[in-house]
Amino acid sequence: MKRGLVTVVGALALGCAGADPRERGTTLSLPLINDPILNPVIAPDIGSIMINKVIFPGLVRPDEQLRPTPDLALSWAASDDGLTYTFTLRPGVQWHDGQPFSAHDVKFTFDQILDVHSGSRQRSDFAAVAGVDVVDSLTVRFRLRAPFAPFLSLLGYNAGIIPAHVFKGRRLTDAIDFSRARPVGTGPFQVADTRPGSAIILERNPAYYGTPPKLERMVFKIVPDVNVQVAQLRAGELDVILIEPANLASLERDAAIVVREAPIVQHYYVGFNQRHALFASPVVRRALGYAVNRAAIIAGVLKGHGDAPVGTIPLALGDYFADSLKRLRYDRDSARVLLAQAGWRPGTDGRLRNASGSSFRFDLFVDKGNPTREQAALAVQHDLQALGMDVSLRMLEFAALVRDHLLTGKFDASLIWWTTPPDPDQWAFYATGQDNNHVAYRSARADSLLALGRATSDVVRRRAAYHAFQAHELEDPPVLVLFYPRELLAMRADVDGFPRLGLRDALRHSERFGIAQDR
Amino acid sequence: MNGVRPGVWQRLRRDQRAIVGGGVLLLLILVLIVGPYMYRVSPTSLDLALVGAPPSWQHWLGTDENGRDVLSRLLHGGRVSLAVGGLAVAFALLLGGSLGAMAGFRPGPLDTVLMRATDAMLSMPTIFVVITALAFFGSTLGALVLTIGGTAWMGLARLVRGELLSIREHAYIEAARTLGQSGWALFARHMLPQLTPTILVGVTVGVGTAILTESALSYLGIGVQPPAASWGNMLSTAQSYFTAYPHLVILPGAMIFLTVVSVNVLGDALRDAADPREPG
Amino acid sequence: MARYFARRLLHALTTLFLVCTATFAIIHAAPGGPSVLADPKLTATERQAIERRLGIDRPLGEQYARWIGSVARGDLGNSFLYQVPNVQAIRERLPGTLLLAGTALLAAIVIALTLGTYCAARPGSVADHAVTVLASAAMAIPAFWLAMVLILLFAVTWGVLPAGGNITVGGTGSLGDRLAHLILPVTVLSAALTAELLRYARSSTRSALLQPFVRVAQAKGVSKTRLRRRHALRNALIPVVTLIGLQLPRLVGGAAVTETVFSWPGMGRLGVEAALSRDYPLVLAITLVISAAVAVVTLLVDIIYVWLDPRIRLART
Repeated sequence: MKRGLVTVVGALALGCAGADPRERGTTLSLPLINDPILNPVIAPDIGSIMINKVIFPGLVRPDEQLRPTPDLALSWAASDDGLTYTFTLRPGVQWHDGQPFSAHDVKFTFDQILDVHSGSRQRSDFAAVAGVDVVDSLTVRFRLRAPFAPFLSLLGYNAGIIPAHVFKGRRLTDAIDFSRARPVGTGPFQVADTRPGSAIILERNPAYYGTPPKLERMVFKIVPDVNVQVAQLRAGELDVILIEPANLASLERDAAIVVREAPIVQHYYVGFNQRHALFASPVVRRALGYAVNRAAIIAGVLKGHGDAPVGTIPLALGDYFADSLKRLRYDRDSARVLLAQAGWRPGTDGRLRNASGSSFRFDLFVDKGNPTREQAALAVQHDLQALGMDVSLRMLEFAALVRDHLLTGKFDASLIWWTTPPDPDQWAFYATGQDNNHVAYRSARADSLLALGRATSDVVRRRAAYHAFQAHELEDPPVLVLFYPRELLAMRADVDGFPRLGLRDALRHSERFGIAQDR
Repeated sequence: MNGVRPGVWQRLRRDQRAIVGGGVLLLLILVLIVGPYMYRVSPTSLDLALVGAPPSWQHWLGTDENGRDVLSRLLHGGRVSLAVGGLAVAFALLLGGSLGAMAGFRPGPLDTVLMRATDAMLSMPTIFVVITALAFFGSTLGALVLTIGGTAWMGLARLVRGELLSIREHAYIEAARTLGQSGWALFARHMLPQLTPTILVGVTVGVGTAILTESALSYLGIGVQPPAASWGNMLSTAQSYFTAYPHLVILPGAMIFLTVVSVNVLGDALRDAADPREPG
Repeated sequence: MARYFARRLLHALTTLFLVCTATFAIIHAAPGGPSVLADPKLTATERQAIERRLGIDRPLGEQYARWIGSVARGDLGNSFLYQVPNVQAIRERLPGTLLLAGTALLAAIVIALTLGTYCAARPGSVADHAVTVLASAAMAIPAFWLAMVLILLFAVTWGVLPAGGNITVGGTGSLGDRLAHLILPVTVLSAALTAELLRYARSSTRSALLQPFVRVAQAKGVSKTRLRRRHALRNALIPVVTLIGLQLPRLVGGAAVTETVFSWPGMGRLGVEAALSRDYPLVLAITLVISAAVAVVTLLVDIIYVWLDPRIRLART
């Protein structure tokens, strides 16, 4: 007994004496949930995308109004027909290995992005690009198949530029040394060390072309459990984390932590599969829209950290959001009236039935493990059942839900979300017959408005098109929009220099991050 | 019960641990059976306006992060947890018991094959297979019982085989055999009763382990699926509310703890009663 | 002796083959495909390209034959998720798990034997009761919950131990720092195991102490401590050693949860991630490596067993 105790106490003492004090003031720590793939072209998951934004700048980056501003490109010009874009690149930029950056790297990157066999995860973003030409070493020209207004926003989104000279004919997916250990980018921080399963340590890039970074180091630590991320934030082992509303309660009383909200370009919705007769009628979909108490979900589940919706274009998109339209309201009576119009009347038992006596029953799919979505799904189920529908919840792993149900069209309804680039273009999601239109929405008017918004680069005409689209959505809803979440960023109170953007976009400005010294 | 080694039940009845462990367990089961009929509050009905409320007349133990009644969820969740534990072990017993009996009753090639398979299962890190299998079936009650039980039978198989191998050497079995009793009669009349205490020990301990396994699976997101409650998934969901609503963490944790401890204590008493050579 | 080992080796190889085949069958029985295909933004063409690149567009029989073939050549395939050879992924994570599980096992054995023999010599004493109660408690607490409580107490409230990881990132990586990171995860991982071993150690020591030869020795005036060391400990070791071989897969299973809570870079967590994202080759590779490790340990245990208890002859099997 004594021996065991001595061992434990001894180790404890050692632990306290030996713990290394963290270098406060020069290092910022953020979490990832698993080992990232350090190559923006083939990175499949959000964690990899995040860290790649620090290591691999793109041609442009979004400012705090989400407008594209110069990054690796100094300036650009579009042709009058909107079919070519010519970029003038920043001179004197060096890769982390000391090689010069040039137009060839840009062409190489986009050739890889567009190659279906490269393992590229961004091909659909740039499907409009026909090809890229090197004009001279600092000038590059993109040829588009059709006018494509979101082009610049997408360039500043996930499309980090990778170095042509490193790969030398190797496939991106085979260059493991690059994507796992020694990536070469042009960003303000470069990889100093990778510890599998543990951390990626970035250090300041002394040759960075922009404002010199304030921090010495950025550390991306691998912490898979979000509750442990919260604990580590409170213990000072992490500096900035994304949290769920469920975590707010445990941070509220901690004076060392501040929680910041940022609008993000996301809309959460319940998608009703319109291949099914049950949801084919816009009247039924409008009724469903009235039946859900969004205010209660925003207050109860999001703890108020979300906004009531109009349509699928979120508030975060500024002027493109149709603020003049009325937000969707909760009105059971209107829902009942519309359902009756569509032939659904409550029987003596309160359950809805149609003329042939069948009940209004369907499965609502939701991915499991995320408290916000699970709770929102429970609330939706609750509200719809109160109206006499028979709703079964099916909770599945996200991967299984997407792969086996969403992509194959084998579902009745699913609670899910889209995170989109900072642009109102939603052609891929809601235009007839598109690959990502999982709910099989078909509307000629929506098609023409979305096509117009995508093709015109005139801001005023674009805005008008998207406002009209949102008005149309009220009449013929593609999906039941639940809310626009706000991103909750919890950080140590002494962290500063974070631009007022969602974390994804903020990471494009990592040279501004710092830790206040006076605290 | 006839034929059990003499004295087992007498010894058990005198053992304080058996009385306490068994008593608590019986009380728990009784409460879980009767409770939901007495306390008629829905375990799944949401009230987003009443999140994490303290105890009140409407909600005796307060509400959880979704405004659902905690007591009602504990009662219904307890039924689920005990059912998973009990049924998983029953399945493991069916599988392991019959394989062990087949192997131990007549040593030979069948024995060798069965024991190789048991070894293979024992050397496998079954958790990864369980995760995959649950994704296949979905984490329904049946799937959890089958996967937890289906990966917990090996110990029982070995136990039963070992006991049988030693029992069959006993003189009276030899005698019965020479008297011309058939294999099945021999097994049912003489061997099975001898096995009962061993099996009981394995089963009681197994129930506790299965309940803990379900909670670990809940932590990994593949246990009993919400909105249905189990103690495991209540505890795992509550991890986010450790400081905000401690009662959400403490209550299901305490229930799991109480159940597993009493099951184990009962198991200890059983073991000692079954094997008097082993002093207390 | 040589024949005995040859036979054991053959057994081990058969077991491994069974494990591989069973695992392959079970994971491929799950519908759909790996999660790298589950991006809602992928188009049909892109999905097909990925399937072709990963080789999962081939018939199952062909995939199985290919896989067995490459395993025979010592190639465990490539991970879908991490896009690296599985051998590399495992090599990166194995040391972490070995350190964690090894320390936990060692701690469990040392504490269980010490406390077990101590209590066995004093049945019914306050210490004996206290240890028994503690052991029962340790076996009844869900590991992830214990882990969270320890993190909140030691890392958040008192700030004396780190909340996760195996080393302070950006620190000097001193021995003290590494030990400090080990304390909480080892405590959690070894709690239930210690309790279980302790019970075995206690009861087998107890029976040994009641054996006639011990009583005789006692009557002859051999000191209690000496008795415990010489006779009791050896007897206590036998069931403990038997258990160790069987504990390995369980330790790795437990490590999966412990490593996740403590952000520990190990193989258990890697396996969970692989299983959750249907990374077939990685799940297979990890299962194979662990089963092989179990086979080796079982062999070692057999040797130790014979050494501990000369009555057991090699003819046993």
